[in-house]
Amino acid sequence: MISSFAPQLAASVADTPNVGFGTLAALIIFILASMWIGMLANKAMSAGTFMKGFFLGNRGLGAWALALTATVQSGGTFMGFPSLVYTHGWVVALWIAGYMVVPITGFGVLGKRLAQLSRKTGAITVPDMFRARFNSPTLGLTASLFIMFYMSFMMVAQFKSGALVMKLAWPSSGTLALSEESAAFELTTENLNKLDLPADVKEKLAAMVDHPFNKDSEIKARLSELLSKQELEKHEKQILNAAQPIDWLFLIGLGIFTLTVVGYTLLGGFLAAVWTDLFQSVMMLVGVVVLLFLALSAVGGMENATNTALEKTGPGFVFGPGYDPKGEGRVYLPLGLAFSFFWVWVYSGLASPAGMVRVMAGKSTEVIRKSIFLLSGYNALIYIPLVIICVCGRALVPDLPPGKTDEIIPRLALLTTAKLPLGSFVAGLILAAPFGAVMATVSSYLVVIASGLIRDVYQRFINPQAGTHTLRRLSYFAMITVGLIAVAANINPVDYLQVIVVFSGTGAAATFCVAALMLAFWRRATVAGMLAAMISGGGTVITLYLLGIQGLGAETLIGPVSKFRPYFLLGVDPLLWGLALSLLAGIIVSLLTTPPDAALVSRLFDAEPVREVNS
Amino acid sequence: MSPPTDDPVLRSARREALVVFAAWLAAMAYTVIYCYRNGYDRPKESLTFVLGFPDWVFWGIVVPWSVCVVFSFWFGATFMKDEDLGEELPEQEDELGLGGG
Repeated sequence: MISSFAPQLAASVADTPNVGFGTLAALIIFILASMWIGMLANKAMSAGTFMKGFFLGNRGLGAWALALTATVQSGGTFMGFPSLVYTHGWVVALWIAGYMVVPITGFGVLGKRLAQLSRKTGAITVPDMFRARFNSPTLGLTASLFIMFYMSFMMVAQFKSGALVMKLAWPSSGTLALSEESAAFELTTENLNKLDLPADVKEKLAAMVDHPFNKDSEIKARLSELLSKQELEKHEKQILNAAQPIDWLFLIGLGIFTLTVVGYTLLGGFLAAVWTDLFQSVMMLVGVVVLLFLALSAVGGMENATNTALEKTGPGFVFGPGYDPKGEGRVYLPLGLAFSFFWVWVYSGLASPAGMVRVMAGKSTEVIRKSIFLLSGYNALIYIPLVIICVCGRALVPDLPPGKTDEIIPRLALLTTAKLPLGSFVAGLILAAPFGAVMATVSSYLVVIASGLIRDVYQRFINPQAGTHTLRRLSYFAMITVGLIAVAANINPVDYLQVIVVFSGTGAAATFCVAALMLAFWRRATVAGMLAAMISGGGTVITLYLLGIQGLGAETLIGPVSKFRPYFLLGVDPLLWGLALSLLAGIIVSLLTTPPDAALVSRLFDAEPVREVNS
Repeated sequence: MSPPTDDPVLRSARREALVVFAAWLAAMAYTVIYCYRNGYDRPKESLTFVLGFPDWVFWGIVVPWSVCVVFSFWFGATFMKDEDLGEELPEQEDELGLGGG
């Protein structure tokens, strides 16, 4: 029986709350805190050699640092996930449910063995370990190239998120958008005059001057009303370019974000990345708990939240396969995808290159053990409350249109704190969490990409005798260059941010999961088998994405709405096919090729002989 | 010469990995099957709540998640064994060409 009630606090999409100075103040505090952490890390890492200190923190990670940073995919947690809950409802709790086992799978399967092997081989990076375990430079280089490929996608997407959050924080920026569709079109008189167009065309265009359009499709529709077909064909591109204003707030945000994150990562390397990640993870937990309390108080309890949201939407909001806001017959989470996501989260966490290197940096097995239960508590406190918060969001702000649903967390933060003392600052702290999350993610990728270039390519193949001074300078140069490339790629920002993140995560998982398991546990694994496992796993995911982008399977309305979508062969995520082929190829090719060197395997798999001590 | 024996870290890591895989399979089977059978394509009139959650979310997700938290505590605190991870290979004594700087 559904009761009818009125939430104690409700808002419409038309009531755009003001982003006050509190948000900007909170972001400035975040930036300063991150720089301070970078300086602390700089001091801490100077104890050992540069390479081991800068890229592995001298293997000194404690339980908190390991638990809250190795498998928490923080960049997307505060951005895409809330939007999904708001759009599709309670079924997203099933979509994310795989996280219930991520703490034990992330640390309990490979953790201990990777930590041991990296010590036995002296490996500093993941490719280092692949190379050393099989004594094969080819294998190390292949691993490195794959890692840099996936990480580059992630980096570009994350830089966009960082810049968007900065833009959001700007007081009276007029946008709450973490949304990817915030770019607007407006043809000003000045821009129209600059255009080299026939006078009669300019005359026709005068009817749309200074009129804002939210979407590409809207301005195109208006143009087709005003101009003839031939005029449109000839001039449309030129007019669209002129109508797209330079988004200064985005570009300034991009600049500040890049300077901050590259700056503190240069200062403190791996440790700076890990410590800021820990800092933001704690802030995120604080943000979620505060917002949970505020949202539940505002809506009058969970049951009321669900009932109101149900009235505003439909049964899909509380039952599977999820609410279909456009009413186009989309099945958001069919059985095949619900099953797939229990694999996606688990295997992306198990073998993500940034996660593996953190396990290698763990201080001891005690640290790995403690990380399991710390992360287990943390995940339960983040994900289920976030679902509840966004269900409350649907009840409190029921009418956000598709494309603007990323705004739900900022809107809730501003709405529920509006009447509190220091409300703007509290909202700011909640909103600073996504910024911190993105900074931490980018920072850790910067370290992984720079270590790939310097350690796995330069030091291994170009100049093995390079001294510390050269390595240090080149590492800094690599990080700055990667930062500049990411900025250049974002001057025209990428679309489909969240799906790119999922692509990189599942691609890396399909490439490295089976290979890492073979490396850790299978004596008979060979170099050819490892290469086959990596290439077939990664290749399968990439191929299925390419097929999906080409339009194959687009008529099957499952999964998220996006053009950057994979082909869901038999209705399951590409990761499952990638893992299956990787496993088959790895085993078959290993068994068909010459067994590995017995001495090498024995050194890494057999108990060390007891040494006699002569006193 | 005695036959080679598995490194103790390898032995315990393998045993722990098998238990983790079993836990993952059990959690996945229960959660996905329960939610699919009890939480999909229902009329809205059939909705009931347990502690504020829709019934199927509570029994299909919140309860197994809580069990997993307890299991993870047990696994981390008692089942997983502490081991000596061995000495780090000195960076300058990389005799097998296995790594180091």
